[in-house]
Amino acid sequence: MSAVLNDPAVGRKPLIVAFCCNWCSYAGADLAGTSRMHYPSNVKVIRVPCSGRINPMFVLRAFQRGADGVLVAGCHPGDCHYSTGNYHSRRRLSAFKRLLEFAGFEPERFEVRWISASEGDKFAEEMEAMTAKIMALGPNRKMRDARWQSKSLSK
Amino acid sequence: MAEQISEQIIKVKKVVSQDLLSGRIDLLLGWEKGHFWWQSRPLFARSEEDLERLVWDSFCVINLSRYLPDELKENKKIGVLVKGCDARAFNRLLQDRIVERERVILYGLPCPGMLDYALLIEEAGAALKGIAERNGKVILQTDEGEKELLRDDLLLAKCRHCLHPDPVVYDQLLFPPLGDREELEHFKSVEELEELPADERYAYWEKELSRCLRCYACRQVCPYCSCLECFVEQKSPRWQGRAYQPSENFMFHLVRAYHGTGRCIDCGECERVCPVGIPLMELNRKLIKDINELYGHYEAGLDPEQEPPLLTYRPADPAAFSEK
Amino acid sequence: MKKLLLKEKWPELWTLLAHEGPLYLPVEDGSVVLYQPWQEGVKVNLEAVNSTVSPKDIFLPREETYLHYSCRGEMLDLEDVESDEPVTAFALHPCDLKAIEMIDRVFLNQDPPDALYKKRRENTTVVALACRRPDPYCFCGVFGIDPTDAPGADVMAYLTEKGLLLEGRTAKGKILLDKAAPLLEVEADETNITVDVKTQDFGLQVGGLPEDLQERFNDPVWDDLFRSCLGCGICTYVCPTCYCFDVEDYGHEEGGERFRCWDSCMFGHFTQMAGGHNPRPSRKERVRQRFMHKLCYYPETYGEIACVGCGRCLRSCPVNLDIVQAIKVLGGGKVG
Repeated sequence: MSAVLNDPAVGRKPLIVAFCCNWCSYAGADLAGTSRMHYPSNVKVIRVPCSGRINPMFVLRAFQRGADGVLVAGCHPGDCHYSTGNYHSRRRLSAFKRLLEFAGFEPERFEVRWISASEGDKFAEEMEAMTAKIMALGPNRKMRDARWQSKSLSK
Repeated sequence: MAEQISEQIIKVKKVVSQDLLSGRIDLLLGWEKGHFWWQSRPLFARSEEDLERLVWDSFCVINLSRYLPDELKENKKIGVLVKGCDARAFNRLLQDRIVERERVILYGLPCPGMLDYALLIEEAGAALKGIAERNGKVILQTDEGEKELLRDDLLLAKCRHCLHPDPVVYDQLLFPPLGDREELEHFKSVEELEELPADERYAYWEKELSRCLRCYACRQVCPYCSCLECFVEQKSPRWQGRAYQPSENFMFHLVRAYHGTGRCIDCGECERVCPVGIPLMELNRKLIKDINELYGHYEAGLDPEQEPPLLTYRPADPAAFSEK
Repeated sequence: MKKLLLKEKWPELWTLLAHEGPLYLPVEDGSVVLYQPWQEGVKVNLEAVNSTVSPKDIFLPREETYLHYSCRGEMLDLEDVESDEPVTAFALHPCDLKAIEMIDRVFLNQDPPDALYKKRRENTTVVALACRRPDPYCFCGVFGIDPTDAPGADVMAYLTEKGLLLEGRTAKGKILLDKAAPLLEVEADETNITVDVKTQDFGLQVGGLPEDLQERFNDPVWDDLFRSCLGCGICTYVCPTCYCFDVEDYGHEEGGERFRCWDSCMFGHFTQMAGGHNPRPSRKERVRQRFMHKLCYYPETYGEIACVGCGRCLRSCPVNLDIVQAIKVLGGGKVG
């Protein structure tokens, strides 16, 4: 995978922003790391208290500033540390995902996944899969602010 | 309709003037003629003299419920004339707890739909002097004589899409209800857009939104935009930049529409007031359609007791993403 | 001498002018008409009387970046953004050109003049188009504007059955016509352009406005007039004589840019101060400010009312609160 990512013909690495809930998915990402599982280095993890904390504006801002894909990861339904946070995010983010697609984003650009603290392997697999799909789509230009420049992106 | 809309004003005036003079209400929110015969503006009537300017005709499109939050700060009890959409807007405000039901008297007006001046002049062909209405027909009076057309063909887009012409909440219904309307093609334009390839859909919105002046009329007129501070004005973090870049246009319009998920009463005011003709209701209706499909049929503003879909959940809810 | 440009040759002129630099003309976009740069495929509409949004944005763009900055260690590098490309503003109506004259006073009659505006103004050749009929909403005659003649134009154009009659008025205008010469024909009969446009007055008589409107600042009329206002910015953004702007930065990791963009006195944040105080806290103060600026403050400074009667606010205000209503309640209506 890293060979593909660094292939100059493909261009820059796709940037994936992964919002991970503190209690499950962030711990899952951590487990992937401590278990020395490999997942693409182009995934930038942002820890949030709960998937219910996700304001859709976080996602739009990520796209404005260079993200090629955005993932929200939270506890499995029924396992929310705050009991019901992810039930609410399921409804909100489902509506939001469809709105994004209606605006013209490819469905693969924005995903939601339930990943528990013990699912380090699932985290790694999902990141590999999302990276591959976004590699196939190419860089995202939709909602990307033409004025935005970033050291990490210009490399 | 038994009576022409233009003949109903006599009864409307009688009812509201009784209440205003008896002190049952301190203020009546109604309509008066604007500068042109095809325009009306809100009337804030406090006296019988003010009521002389009251009108109820085919151009009373402005939603008066929108003025309640501000006017209730200065008045104890307010009477409001409400059409179908205005009544749903009232329920929206009620559900958001920004108006108190007991301080408002709602006079319900079953609404046959408001006329679109742009369509009238398009149909007239010559200089349009005025109109008359009878038996579901509109007679256009022009320099070159008269032309008779079906009233339903001359309605504003928002009225052609209207499903509930009768007020769903009122203290007094002034005329017999007209009954709900069926509109089989309510989501047609949304479905057509859904069929397009993603890139074409993006290009479509980029073009449509490029006209946005950021005048925020869509927000100001909207009964679901009730936030004391809008994300647009928030300084930290600064979500909405002022540049007219596509990225900023999308930011405003996607978030504006999204904030109406399960809250938009489908009144079409945002699209009506947009000075540059952005099809805003396609975004709003997309969200209505998806909520219906995913979480069960829901029409905002019909019943303030019914929980809005994004404020509740069921453990077995479906998702628009893979849950495996 | 007037020259005729036949209808079928219009696209050739567009191509010719657009080759030199942006050519703004009234274009149908969705359901509205806006002044936009010409490109192959756009639908030009010279019959439309008043565009939905005024053409002021040719000179005062909605957004204009004028400075780039970049960070170099502790240092900040600044770079001006300048554009020298020639612009053609095509088919501006006399009222809109009069409005540009009003904005000129604000940006140019200053020391120093506004460099960005000055440059755009100097680089632009204005082709004015005489009106043939009034729009349902317009009332330029109230302000003494002749809808068939635009004194500030470089070229004056008249729409006829055959095409456009063009008359060079200034050196810039003559240069434009020289370039277009191969496309033009000498019109034998020039008398057919005498157009008699009956302007509307909507019962206004601005002479009836009080001598010193400032005295009406605390008048109870404002308590009623503002109530229907929704607080959107439509009136200011479609208005040809509104010119307020804001300056904002867009920053990123390595630098950024500074731009100015339209702003509106109808917005609550327009006068919001850093400490939280707002001298115009409600819609009442804002509505009063807008109308007083048009009818009192601008005339005090520059000698005439800042309204050209284009009627755009009458057409676009969602609640039909417009300047005709304001002028009338302040005493500028005809008596009897």
